[in-house]
Order: sequence, then C-alpha cells, then structure tokens
Amino acid sequence: MASAWDWISPTGAAKIVQEGTEPDPRFTFANERTFLAWSRTALALVVAGLGIVQLLPPFPGVPLGRHLLGIPLIVLGAVLAVVAYVEWIRNQRALRRGDPLPRSVLPWLLAAMIALMAIISAVVLLVSATR
Amino acid sequence: MDADDLEQLDPGLARERTSLAWGRTAISFAALGGAVLKASLIPGLVILLIAAAVWWIPRLRKPGAQQLWLITVSTVAVATLALVVALTSHGVSHTLRP
Repeated sequence: MASAWDWISPTGAAKIVQEGTEPDPRFTFANERTFLAWSRTALALVVAGLGIVQLLPPFPGVPLGRHLLGIPLIVLGAVLAVVAYVEWIRNQRALRRGDPLPRSVLPWLLAAMIALMAIISAVVLLVSATR
Repeated sequence: MDADDLEQLDPGLARERTSLAWGRTAISFAALGGAVLKASLIPGLVILLIAAAVWWIPRLRKPGAQQLWLITVSTVAVATLALVVALTSHGVSHTLRP
C-alpha cells in the first residue's frame, strides 16, 4: 500500500508507476501530454494572477481588489500543478494494471474556480463602480 | 523510410507529439522567465534555467516520474515566487479614472 509520501516524492512515484506491465506506449505518451497540458494551464494561471496584481490599475473604492482577483489564481496554479502530477501517477498505475482510468477532478476544479473568479470579479467591479 | 516504417517506429506519432508538448511547456517557462527577467534579474534567470532543463529533459532520456516531478516542483516554486511578489509589491498606482 503506497503512503501519501510515495505519491508526492519522485522515488515513491517511480515505484508506484512500476507496478503491473508496460502498457501500449501511445497511452503512456498520451498520459504524459495530458500532464504537460495541465502544467501549462497552471503556469498560465500563475502568469494571469501575477499580471492582475502587478499590471492592472487599482479599482477605485476596493483597495484589495487586485489581490482578491490575482492571489486565488496563483494559488490555483500551484494546486493544479500538484493535482496534475497525482493524476498522472493514478492514470499510469491504472494503465499498467489494466484497470479503468480514474475520473479526473481537474476539469471540475478549474470550472468551479473560473465560476468563483467570475463572481468575485463581478462583485469587485460593481462595488468599484458604485463608489 | 516510408509511411509504414514511420508508423512502426513511432505509432500514431505519439513520441513526436509528446516531444512537441515538452517544447511548448519549455516555451511557457521561457516566456514567464523573460517577463520576470524585466522586473527581477535572479528569479528571471532561474526560471529561464528551468525552461532550458524542460527543453532538454525529453532529449536526454525517456521522461519518467522523476522528470514529471521536477516540472511539478518548478511550477509550484514559480507560483510561490509569484505569490511573494504579489503580496509584497503594490503594482501600478494609477487608477482607471482620471
């Protein structure tokens, strides 16, 4: 049974993805590309968050408006990167064991966060416009 | 080399598409490093070094858990750096209204 540390340490993860038999290389490559695509999404979120805090003019009447919008995006970027790695391990293990692929939480996480950010943006803009 | 040879060597061109995905990820790191370089020299150079490492990883050896772990740690480190910058700096001070 793999411990939580095995999932986040490089040597532990290497052991987990050695279980079972080597799958079709196309599936292994597809899993790797999916991980890389989520990593780029995570980087884009970090850049967007940093851009909002650094480059956007302040919202009149909402002194922390830029931080309210930018910091959650940066945090989400870091969370997305870690979850993408855990999902790559889960998928690789399922492929090697011949199990069904586990359901991904990443699209749900991203969609929920974008919806939340849209709500926060609307509130910040409305408060800023009324002051 | 004909199409059948290529298909046998790299089925569905999966290896080539994955290599291109690594290249895109390296370019993402490099773009971020270039942007940060304008504001802060050392963090920008560190991110550019990460971009170079990401570019060379698939060319030096077959990527595995340790290489993907490196990408994850790099992304989290960049996010942490961005968080520190966001929390400690004030950004531009002019407003949209005159």
